[in-house]
Amino acid sequence: MSWNFKKSEAAAGLDHGQTVIVTARWILIAVGLFLVTVVPSHDVGEVRLQVALILLLGLGNFFLHGLLLKGRPVSGAVAYAASAIDLTVVTILLASQGGDSPVYVLYFPALLALSVAFEPTITALYAAGTAAVYGALAIVEGLDPAIAVTRALMFVAVAFCGAVYWQVERDRRSRQRSATTSTTNLEGSLR
Amino acid sequence: MTSARLAGTSIGRARSLEQEAAEDVFFGQVVMIWARWFLIVAGAVFFLWTAERSSQLALGVVPIVVLILINFYLHGRYLLERPSNPKLITVASLFDLGLISSIILVWGGGDGATGLASPFFVFYYPVLLAFAFVMPRAATVAFTALAAGIYAAICFGDVSSLTSAKVLVLRLVTMAAMGGLGTYYWRIQRDRRRSPSGSLAGA
Repeated sequence: MSWNFKKSEAAAGLDHGQTVIVTARWILIAVGLFLVTVVPSHDVGEVRLQVALILLLGLGNFFLHGLLLKGRPVSGAVAYAASAIDLTVVTILLASQGGDSPVYVLYFPALLALSVAFEPTITALYAAGTAAVYGALAIVEGLDPAIAVTRALMFVAVAFCGAVYWQVERDRRSRQRSATTSTTNLEGSLR
Repeated sequence: MTSARLAGTSIGRARSLEQEAAEDVFFGQVVMIWARWFLIVAGAVFFLWTAERSSQLALGVVPIVVLILINFYLHGRYLLERPSNPKLITVASLFDLGLISSIILVWGGGDGATGLASPFFVFYYPVLLAFAFVMPRAATVAFTALAAGIYAAICFGDVSSLTSAKVLVLRLVTMAAMGGLGTYYWRIQRDRRRSPSGSLAGA
């Protein structure tokens, strides 16, 4: 399994992975709305922040989904920024709830989606960043370090699995292309 | 008969689909193996860190060693280019599921928390994702539903308020998202390989 790849492969991978990112973001938004509406916090400022963030995320995702439906590719910079915003929103929700908030599980679908869309080096940066930020937050909030490390390892595990699969599929397509080219050449020489 | 002529026939198509399914397992199972290595590392770190008695540590190391043995066997086969068949990897994944669920049910961790309060449910996520990347959709749906069902059954008794119910639903939805998004991407990749323009993308 080779970890070298062309820019065009990364761009093609991003095009095909965008729908997963957009779907994952709709899941985040639905779950976020569920969290806000069922047993809302007594702190109105906290709820206001959560609703505003979810609405903004929904607006941005509607725009990106629209582009995909029209068959217009989303540029790499926009896709990278949107995924960074997803992770930031989860972090803000986590920080706003304080302590051992259960919201950290929203990192899993967000990391999975970006790991199958982005090239592995970019995925590694996002996963490491998420684990580091979560670790820092856990230290500040006084969370049990063993639990925090286990969770951070699972964030990295999900992103790593996505990156390995991205690589496996790229290699399969590459082998398929080589086989098709060889067959075409062989048939051409037989005629 | 050339391969191009065979590919046009129903026998050729059936063989091609069968071969594609076999290749999914052949190439994809490395993701499952890596997911299990992460499980082993995280489990080892947690048990070593939180055990307060030597008996607790000795007991905690047993599932880790079992997982290491299984994964070493599967990884060895993969490296020797003799990967496991779908039945074997399904059994291994079911074993992972059973082990994680048993730990959540009985293992108290550092603060004695089991069920909904157990921190070990996060181990489900990479296992569900890896399975979804390798196996067909029907198997993934069944596997994800089984995991969510087992976890819900374990935690049901701990749901005492709307807040704890909310936490359980949040976890179940994100677990389902792992299986759902994984199998969705699996389908995207399969369609990409099948379409002539898709297979050339990125060339």
